[in-house]
This record gives sequence, C-alpha cells and structure tokens, in this order.
Amino acid sequence: MKTAYIDNQAFEIVEGETLLSFIRRYRDKSLVPTLCDAPNLDPFGACRVCSVEVALHENGPVKTMASCHAPVAAGQYIYTSTDSVKALRKNIIELVLTDHPLDCLTCEVNGNCELQTVAAQVGIRDVRYPAGDDHLFRMKDLSHPYMTSDLSKCINCYRCVRACDEVQGEFVLSMSGRGFDSHIIKGMDTSFMESDCVSCGACSQACPTSAISDVFQSKAIQATDTTRTICTYCGVGCNLEVSTSNGEILSITAPYDAEVNQGHTCIKGRYAFKFYDHPERLDSPMIKRNGTFEKVSWNEVYDYISLKLTSYKSEFGPDSIAGISSARCTNEENYLMQKFIRTVIGTNNIDGCARVCHSPTALGMQRTYGTGAATNSIDDIKDTNCIMVIGANPTDAHPVTGAKLKQFSMKLDNVSIVIDPRRTELARYATHHIPLRPGTNVAVLNMMMYYIISEGLADAKFIENRTEGFEDFKKEILDIDLEYLEEVCGVDRNIIKDAAIAYATAPNAMSFHGLGVTEHSQGTFTVMQIADLALLTGNIGRRGVGVNPLRGQNNVQGSADMGVQPHQGAGYLDVTKEDVNKKYNEFYGVDVPMEIGYKIPEMFDAALDGKLKALWVIGEDIVQTDPNTKKVIKALEATDLVIVQELFMTETAKHADVILPGASFLEKSGTFTNGERRVQAVRQVVKPVIGSKPDGQIIVEIMNKMGYPQPEYTPDGMLEEISQIVPFFAGITWERLGKNGLQWPVAKDGTDTQILHKEDFKRGKGYFEFNAWEETKELTVHAKDFPYILTTNRELEHYNCGAMTRRTANEMILKDDYLMINPEDAKENLISEGDYVCLESPRGKVDVKARITDEVKSGILSTTFHFPEIMINNLTGDIHDSEAMCPEYKVVAVRIRKSKGKYKPAVV
Amino acid sequence: MSDNLSELLGKKGVEGGFFDSLGKLAKPDGAPSDAAMEKLAEDFLIGKANAYGTASFYDFLKPENKGKKVYVCNGTACVCAGTQEKVIETLQETFDADEIGHMTCLGRCHENSAFHYKGKNYSGTARESLKAILTSENKLNLDSYHVKANGNTILTEAFTNISDYYEPFLRALKRDSVDVLEEIKTSNVRGRGGAGFPMGMKLQFCRNVENETKFIICNADEGDPGAYSDRYLLEQRPHSVLFGMLISGYVAKANYGIVYIRAEYPEASEIVQKAIDDLRLNHLLGKNIDGSGFDFDLKIIQAQGSYICGEETALINSIEGQRPEVRVRPPFPAQKGLFNKPTTVNNVETLAALHHIISNGGEAWKRIGTERSSGTKLVCLDSYFNNPGMYEVEMGTPLSEVVNDLGGGFKSEVKALQIGGPLGGLVPISKVNELTIDFESFSNAGFLLGHASIVSIPKDYPIMELIEHLFDFASYESCGKCFPCRLGTKRGQELSEKALTSDYKIDRKLFTDLLTTLEQGSLCAHGGGIPLPVRNALHYFDDELRQYFN
Repeated sequence: MKTAYIDNQAFEIVEGETLLSFIRRYRDKSLVPTLCDAPNLDPFGACRVCSVEVALHENGPVKTMASCHAPVAAGQYIYTSTDSVKALRKNIIELVLTDHPLDCLTCEVNGNCELQTVAAQVGIRDVRYPAGDDHLFRMKDLSHPYMTSDLSKCINCYRCVRACDEVQGEFVLSMSGRGFDSHIIKGMDTSFMESDCVSCGACSQACPTSAISDVFQSKAIQATDTTRTICTYCGVGCNLEVSTSNGEILSITAPYDAEVNQGHTCIKGRYAFKFYDHPERLDSPMIKRNGTFEKVSWNEVYDYISLKLTSYKSEFGPDSIAGISSARCTNEENYLMQKFIRTVIGTNNIDGCARVCHSPTALGMQRTYGTGAATNSIDDIKDTNCIMVIGANPTDAHPVTGAKLKQFSMKLDNVSIVIDPRRTELARYATHHIPLRPGTNVAVLNMMMYYIISEGLADAKFIENRTEGFEDFKKEILDIDLEYLEEVCGVDRNIIKDAAIAYATAPNAMSFHGLGVTEHSQGTFTVMQIADLALLTGNIGRRGVGVNPLRGQNNVQGSADMGVQPHQGAGYLDVTKEDVNKKYNEFYGVDVPMEIGYKIPEMFDAALDGKLKALWVIGEDIVQTDPNTKKVIKALEATDLVIVQELFMTETAKHADVILPGASFLEKSGTFTNGERRVQAVRQVVKPVIGSKPDGQIIVEIMNKMGYPQPEYTPDGMLEEISQIVPFFAGITWERLGKNGLQWPVAKDGTDTQILHKEDFKRGKGYFEFNAWEETKELTVHAKDFPYILTTNRELEHYNCGAMTRRTANEMILKDDYLMINPEDAKENLISEGDYVCLESPRGKVDVKARITDEVKSGILSTTFHFPEIMINNLTGDIHDSEAMCPEYKVVAVRIRKSKGKYKPAVV
Repeated sequence: MSDNLSELLGKKGVEGGFFDSLGKLAKPDGAPSDAAMEKLAEDFLIGKANAYGTASFYDFLKPENKGKKVYVCNGTACVCAGTQEKVIETLQETFDADEIGHMTCLGRCHENSAFHYKGKNYSGTARESLKAILTSENKLNLDSYHVKANGNTILTEAFTNISDYYEPFLRALKRDSVDVLEEIKTSNVRGRGGAGFPMGMKLQFCRNVENETKFIICNADEGDPGAYSDRYLLEQRPHSVLFGMLISGYVAKANYGIVYIRAEYPEASEIVQKAIDDLRLNHLLGKNIDGSGFDFDLKIIQAQGSYICGEETALINSIEGQRPEVRVRPPFPAQKGLFNKPTTVNNVETLAALHHIISNGGEAWKRIGTERSSGTKLVCLDSYFNNPGMYEVEMGTPLSEVVNDLGGGFKSEVKALQIGGPLGGLVPISKVNELTIDFESFSNAGFLLGHASIVSIPKDYPIMELIEHLFDFASYESCGKCFPCRLGTKRGQELSEKALTSDYKIDRKLFTDLLTTLEQGSLCAHGGGIPLPVRNALHYFDDELRQYFN
C-alpha cells in the first residue's frame, strides 16, 4: 500500500491521481478551496487557490504546488493549511477582488457563488490595493433567449471555455487578448445570439459566478425544493435537477453524479421546460359536439367514453377499438394502456409510436440476437476504438450522447465511421464518411461485409462458437454484384472498403443507429445486417462493442418493453402462444385475446374500411408526424370516436371527438427506460396544471369505470405489478432505482446488466441471414416523375411535432422547418437562399424555405416536420418496412420548383 | 490548453498548419480578416472563437496591429539607453502615430535606437538615414558587434562548409543512437534557455516514449531584452543549430524538427531557411538520410510577437495554433507535447553545443567549465560597455573578467547589471567581483544566470522606474492564464507607477505579499520570476527606493 501524508497523517494514495483528489477523498471539500477546478473538467491550474505545500519528509522544506494538477507521490508530506499557504490563498483572492464588482447583495448568485464562498473561507476582510484598472464596465449580453453573460463578474477561470470544449465540443467560447486584458468571447467576439452557441448551458452550469448564466438564473438560490427526475426529450435519459419554489419551476440543472449525463444536458433538457405551464395547456376534458369542443367534467367524460366503448365492443366486437400509447409516457402508463386495451377492451389493437421509429430495431435485433434492445451502454464509448454511426444524427437528436461521440471523433487515434446521406456534424469529424443515396443502407452494409469476408477479417472463432447460418450467408455475400451496388449507393467502393476494414480491424468497434436505418422499406433487414456485422467481427458481448440503437423518444424502449405492440404483450411475450396467453389470463384475472392486433398503419386502413370505430391516442400527434397526412386525417374522420389524451391542442387533437388533458413529465411519477435499457425514476416535480391529470391515473380511472379493479396509480405499486409479469423487471422496485436507475434485465436480487449477450444470445446462437438490397417501390414507381429524393431529419431545438418545444423559447432560436438543398440543385431550379420551394410528391405539395448547403448531395433534399405550418407528411407515403411496418420517412420521391408567389400554408 | 484542439489542429500536421496560415493571412494588412479566420477555423473544424482568440493574443496578429507600418524597440536595453524617444520622433516625421507600433527587443542591445520596418531591423545610426531606408533596397539593416572567446572557441567557431561540418553527424548515424545519447549525457550540457535542465535527460525522456510521431523543437523565441546570442547563432552559425536538431532527432527517435523563430528576428528566419535548403540539397534532410534509415525534416515556424512563447508549453500551443497559454505539467512535453505527441524543446544555444559534443565526445565538453556547469556560454553585452558584443566564455569565468576585460568597462557610470533577461536578477555593481558565469554562482548569490545577457542600468536611471518597467513588461507579456500573474503583475505596475507619479506610498507589507504571491502562486517562471529582480532592487537599492514606501 502506497501512502502519502495529509497534514502529517498517512492515507493510501491511488497511482496517478492529483493531490487534490487525494486530499478530497479523505478530508472535507472546503479544506482546500478551488475556483478553476470543476468536477467534469480536466485540471487546468489557473486560479492557484488550491495551492498546498509539499515536503519530502515530515515538517521538511516545502514547495508550493497547485493541488488540482500536481500528481501525488508516495511518501509526500502535504500541508494543506500552513500560515504561508493560507496567506497565499488569501492574497490571490484579494487580487481577484481588485477586479470584481463587490455587489454581492444584488448579485444573481448571492449565496451560491464560489468566489463568495472561497473569499469567506480564506477570510478576506479588505482589499488593500488602491483603485486601478478593472473590467467592471463590461456590458451584459442579454441577446439570447436562454444564455446570458455579465462578464464584469468574470474571474477568468476558463471553466466556461473548457466546458464548451471538453463537454459539448462546440468551441463557441474562447479567451481573447492576453494578460490583464484577456476576456471571454463568444464566436468572433459577438453576442450569444449571433454566435454558434447550441444553448446546452454547460458554460452556465460551469461558471462559478454569475458571469455566464441563463435567463432562469439557475444558480440563484430562490428555490425551496429540488427534485431529481428524467428528461422527456429523447432516449438518452438525462437526469435533471429541477428547482422549484411554491409549486413553480424555476430552473433545471444537470447533476454531476448522473451516470447517464455527468452534469451535462442539452437545450431541450435544461431550458425547454416552460411549455409545462403554457397558457395553451389543455385544462379540462372536452367533448366535441356539433363541431365544437365543449368543456365537461371528468365524470361526464368517463361516462361518455365508457358508454361508447362498451357499445362498440358489444356491437362490433373488441377489435373495432384500438389504442395508440405514448413513448413519452412512463413505463407504468404504457403498461396500463396496453393492459386496458387487452383486458378491458379485449383486443391486441395496441401500438405505439415506436412503430414509426424503432419497430425494425426491436424486430431485427430479436431475429438476430433474441433481444430487441441495445447490447451495451453509452459509457462503453470510453472503451471503444471505433464507432460506426449509421442513419443517426445524434448531435441534434441525442445531444448528450452526440457530444460524447463528437468528443470521441475529435481524437486522431480513434476511428469513426458515419454512414449517412447528409454530411452531419459527426460526419465532418469522421475518419470515414459514406454519403450514400437514401434507401441503400442494405447495399452498403452488404458491401462492407463482402470486404470483411473477402479480406479475411471475419472473426472465425466467434462465428464458429456463437453463431449459426454463416456458411449460407457467406456464399450469398460473396456473390453480390459490387459494381451494381456501388452504382446504386453512389459511393466509391474504396471508401466503403476502407470503412469496412477499419471496423473489422478495430480491437473494439461499437455501432449506433437511428431512424435513418429503420424508417426504410428495408429497415428490419438493415438492423439485422448491423447486428450481423457485429457477429461477423466478434464485436458483441463485452465492453466497448455491440449494437446500440439511439432511441428517439424518451421511452421508446420502455413502451415496447411494457407490451405496447400488437404481437407481444408486457415483457415481449408472444400473444399467440398458448402458455403465454395462460400466463396473462391468470395474471390479469381476465381472458386476453391471442390474435395479433393492428399495427398503427393497419389501424388507419381499418378505419378507412369502416372496421375501426374507436381510437384512443395518447401523446402522439399522428396527423403531423405520421406519413401521408391526408390519409391519416381521413382515417380519423372515418372513426366514430377519436379520443386524444394530450397536453396541447395538437393537429391530431383538433380531429378528436374527446379530449383528455394529460400531464407532462414534470407533473407525474413513474419510470422511463432509456436507450441503454436503464430504468430510471421519474419524480413528480409539480402538481399537474389545474384540470389535467397524470395519464396513468386517467387510464386507471377509466379501467375502474369499465369494471376492472385496477388499484390507484402509484409508481411503486405499478412497478410491483410489472415486476411480476415482465421477466427482466423481476428485481426492479421503486426504492432500488435510486439515483441512477437499473439496466435490465434486473435479477430478483436487484443485480442489473450493462452488457447483453456476454456468454450466449437470448435465442441461443447469433443468426446470420442474408438479405439482398432492393430498391424501394417509392422510387421504382415514382422516380421518373419525381426525380429528387426527399429525406427527413431532426433539429436540435425541436422535438418531434414540436408541441412542447414550440411552446418554449426554443421557438425563438429555430422558427421554422427549412429545406436543405445542394447548391447545384438550387442553381438549376433558380432557387436562392430563403426562397420558398414547392415540393411535390405523389401524395401532395408543400412549400418550404430553402437553405442552400452542401450538407446534402445533389439530387437529395432534406427537411424536418417540427412545424404544423409546413406539414411535410403531406408528402410522405404508404411504403413501410416490409417486416415491421415502420413507415419510410427517409425516401420520398419529389419534384421541386421555386414557389410561385408567397408561401402558402399546406392544405390540411 | 485543449486536448481537442491539439488533435484537431494536428490533423493536417505541421505543413499548412493553423498558426502558420494565420501568420500568412496577417501579412497584407497586419491582422487576418474575420472572414479569413472563419474560413480557417472551418477548415480545421475548430471554433471561430479559437481563431479569434489565438490571433488576438499576438502583437502581430491582433486586430489592433492592423495598419501598423513601423515598430520601435522597447526592450530594456533600448529603454535604459534612452534612445527610443528620438527614434519615435524621427519616425513621426514620416508616419502617423497610429502607424507606429512597438516590438520588444530586436536584439540590437549593443547599439540601441532599434526599430523594425518591412521585415528588417535597424539600429544605431540607421535612424539618421530614414529616407534611404524607406525608398530603396539597402544594407542599412546590418549591424556589427564584437564576437570573441576568452578560451575555447566552440560556439563562435567559424563555419567551414556543409560537408565538413556535418561529417560528425553522418558518423553519428552509423552509431547506435543510444551511444550518441550517452555522449550528450556525459557532457552534462544544461539547457541554455534559463532553467539549466540537463539536455541528455530531456532527450532520454522523449526517446523512452513510444510513438510514430515525435517532434524536436528549437526554441528560437529569444525574447529576453538584452539577449542576442540566439540571434547571433541563427544568423551567423545557423548550421550549429540545425546540426543539434538532427542529432536530437536521431537520439530521441523523432523525425520532425521545428525551428520556432521570433517575428522580431526576420533576418534570422531567412538565413535559417537558406541553411535548411542547403541541407536538403546536400541530402542531409528527408527520408533515409545517408542510407541510415533515419528520416528527418525541418520547418521554420515564424512567431508572431509574444514573449511568453519562449516558455516551452506556451510555445507548443503557439505552433499548434492554440492560444499560447502555459500548460500544466505533468504531462510533460516528452509525454504529450506538440499535437499531443512526444516532444522535446531545446534552446538555440543548447542545440548549438551538440556539434562540439558529437565531434569531440561528451568528455571534451564536460572538461570545460565547472563541475556542475559544463562547457562555454555566450554572454551579450549592451551598448554601455566599451566593447558591446557577443562573448563566448568558459563556465566559471569571473564576471569581472567579462565586464572589465572583454567588455572593456563602461562608457559611463553604471550602478547595476540586469543579467539573464527581465526575469533575471539585478546585480549591483558592487557584486560584480563576487560572481562567476555559471548557474551555481548566480543562484547561490540570489541571482539567476538565465541567458547571461547583461543590461546595464546607468547611474542616473531610477530603480523605481526599472521596477515599473519590469512589472509593465511582465504584465504586458503575461499569458493571463494564472490568477497571480495576470492580476499581480498588473497591480505591481500600477503600484509602482502611482508611487512614481504621485505622493502615494506603497504599503511594504502589501508589496512583499504581492511578490510572494507571484513567486509561489504563478503557474510558470514568468509570474514566478519577476519578483527576483524586484527583490534584488529592494535589497540593494533601499536608499533610493525608501521614499516610495511606508
């Protein structure tokens, strides 16, 4: 055991640690004060306030060292509090105060300022220097809807600059000038609003004073309570610390001890919460009568719904009713919704928005591995040598994971492969970017596997021991027509070959995929190929490898886990199986059906056929976000009773017959399961806005109303029920979730699982299945008349249909959808930056504003569907993934022209 | 420093590097345009703020430098000589006040009146021929100074020709590089940049770290006012420096050398470039030199005006294109230096010593000088000496011999010598007889050998003004990263100025607290070093200074 001495007392050291971390492990944090040090940043050594004295023997001659970066060595005698070192700290702080406004009482961070605390600790009583030059004249920057700065309060600790660099990787902040004149700048010495700031708020949280802050004054100490909960905005599952006072949310920060996000989060998680008490929140149940919504009481609406549903059930059978549950809701709510549909209604017509995003992931990975979930954890990025990001733009859609991937990609020794039609932010940093034509993932992945096999880079031992079907697969792969595939994907085969070799030869390679994989006619096949690629190279079953879908919405994983699918009940059990049915019947106390129910697109078809009488939609704006808007609207119109449970009057809600005001994630408790199978506790921060109810409570109440004895909604009670039916939840209890949750499967004793398939696969052996590339019908049928390919993407500032984010100040940062168009295409069509472009597909037309960029190649266009003003899904069609029925949002045949006259809103 | 920026800026290697490009972009107007910086940042995938932040750090890249046409030296020697007001006066007849900038030490300390115009330095009487300087190609930039050795002629030895000069290098290539390194270790040659760290150990550290890419950097950013020995070697003996770099590369297993030359020495850059070209012509650079399997290439990076870049980690940041702020150590450059690769930084004069060591063996060098300070040392004398110039003396030579015999005594009465640059000690003239030129003698007496440049403080020059000047210099050149130096040097300057210009009396306790804070708290030797001459001044010139304190 190696030891060093803190104030003459021996303690064990850890090789390579700094003096500061050594001291702080054993002694109080305030013993050695710091200013430029921060928990999530590298040691920097600027403030020198952490200085200590170090001697080679007891009470020997000392050397002063900054403890934050000086390494500890065995046998050192470290003196933390001698008179001389205390004087040094005090003298440094005195210097700091010569250039700091001493207006603590009116300062935003009064009581929570690190400078104030350290000044008090070192005992500053006066500043002896005569007045000299200072920087108190610096003006505040209030240009931005969230970020603020008051650099007269800046102490030049660089924590903001380092956070922007080391955490977010954005490089918006730097120091400018030198010496006494050095000062923080944003961009080329501009304002926050004019800079490239992505509003992640890392700088604000890092700043020890109020020099950089935010409009919510998140470092002020007005709050009376803080609640730790989980973000609603994506599958990363950031932990949030929400400050409240008297039932009002003041601000949100990111806890440093969060395993998922380590003190970081993004613009949405940190700042986009003001939708929760927006005046447009639905505040009463409503029934549409004679074309207008009338507010009614909860009793009345429950009576109305139960009467209607009962009558449809008896008149048209249970299958005339369907439910769409929400990946934004908690596990418990999803569980209840599928339970309600299956037990009370008696149909398997339950589906969720995972259908339109990651259903091919669940299906494809189940086919190859037996489990439809991420094999590894995001933390594994620390131990990988190669990342392959395919069909995902995480720096916009999963910003905290995106930032980690970007940090990884910036290091020269790391290999990063990006397979994406667009030159995304990660693609710019990637070692290999394969800018394939949308719809050719299968072609590219087959080519990659061709090269890996033909170059002799397959992991024969892994294939032999842990897989099946390889010989047939290999034969087919080696038979592909490289020339043809090279032509269809539009990427030089050598680029693909290099990437394949890089992936195969990396000691550890880890893949990440998103909706650019799944939302295709060959989505499931692509997922299977990604999974096969990992099998082929033995990249499965240990740290730093695996297949890791980036889940779009916060609880996509959880909603599928809970049985929000027409073919599998809670815990992915096959509803058509006798034994499963028996198990469910016994558990639920009623008989549940064995026929597979409707998937979402089938619900619309059934509605148009007159077979669907009632549809209950929770928290999903199918009109704005599902493909082929006109068809969706027609389907809703053809359905007798449309119940929409929502926060706002969305496009879908407008077409409802009954509206139930649900509660936001800030207003209820339960659990979300993030993209790495981590079940985390969502804790109620404030009460639901008056008139609304937690979604789970609504479902329980209607279940009770319709005669099913479901106990009242409590997170612990619900988890207890779920853990008895969902096998991989066996050991999950509300108490055990603690701060950082548990990754399923969780054994009865509470042991959770970071890495799947370590010894064997759920299905026994990993399964190789070859699937040839096939052109989507969208193009074989329409490409002649609609020669451009429109693909869809997401923007950082907005979430899905934008119902929440558009009701926050994010709207001031990104105001509308826009169309990315290559300069060549723009020129050919006489389109200038900012012009409205009329996009026309076989389904309809919309006008979108052009942004000319080489981020997309010629012939490819890309846009978002965050705004109802545009309604891009008027263009998207009915082509679905052949296996999982996930719509093909990523390939739409269109033609373009400069819009005549002014922008015309889409006709809905 | 930023690991990410080191990586991103390293993507393109040294050729076409970010910092080099910034310098080129600044050439036409004195500062790069915003648009050009944006484009450059985009090319390297870094932030616009990084480009702006870097440019704003340097005297010759910052926006304020736009439109500057001529620069007046304000180094200590010129300031103490009192020649610069006249230079400015003369220049103002031709240039607007805002077209005149300043440069800190053009290395013309031996004749003063120094200024810089269009890539050339002028001094002495050149000012009187300003018209000729402005209108035509001329040789008026040439200067002359005494060059002499008091014993062994090693660093000042005349250059013969490339093939003879590099013969020992080719012989070394045939030896195991471990043995060559052993010679350097045996010689016990210590760094001439100021810190006196054994060069052999430094090279050994770098050699021990496995990496495909390693760098040898020559620190030719001699910014110490009063020192022009590096300038001498670069301009007059460029091959001695390049020879040292080739050998260093061979023993450290590094394949790339960078000569980082200060902007204030434009002629040095041209001459060294010519020397590099000659090496290439003679197949002494490039792949597989002389069939040895050793690859080595060299590039000059021109600095852009910042004293702190002489600090090795700031210098590394500078070459990368980051802001040249001092890095924390560890990691040491040998572990993680330029672009996060193992790197050795050596001073010009240290590198120049290797020719003798490799030619004659480490023992030969070790025999010269004292037990712990081996070899010879260049000493520069300023214009207060009767024989201003460059003297090569054996370590251990009495200072009095340098002052009286070589320097020929003073032209007029001098009360103190500042030796070793602005961070070097202030030696009262009464102490001259007690010192010898070596690291130990100086440090034992409470001074610093440093670069061993000598600036004379004339009898009538107020020491308080010197203190103010030193604080001003330290403050102006502080990188601004650590709190004590950024704030302390500024406050020190303000206190001194206030005491000089009003009846304000400095609180002695406050002043010594400030010095202690700088000494103990600073991140590097810049803030940590400035208290030394100030303390010397307080100690030896109390009579003169007492009036400013209470």
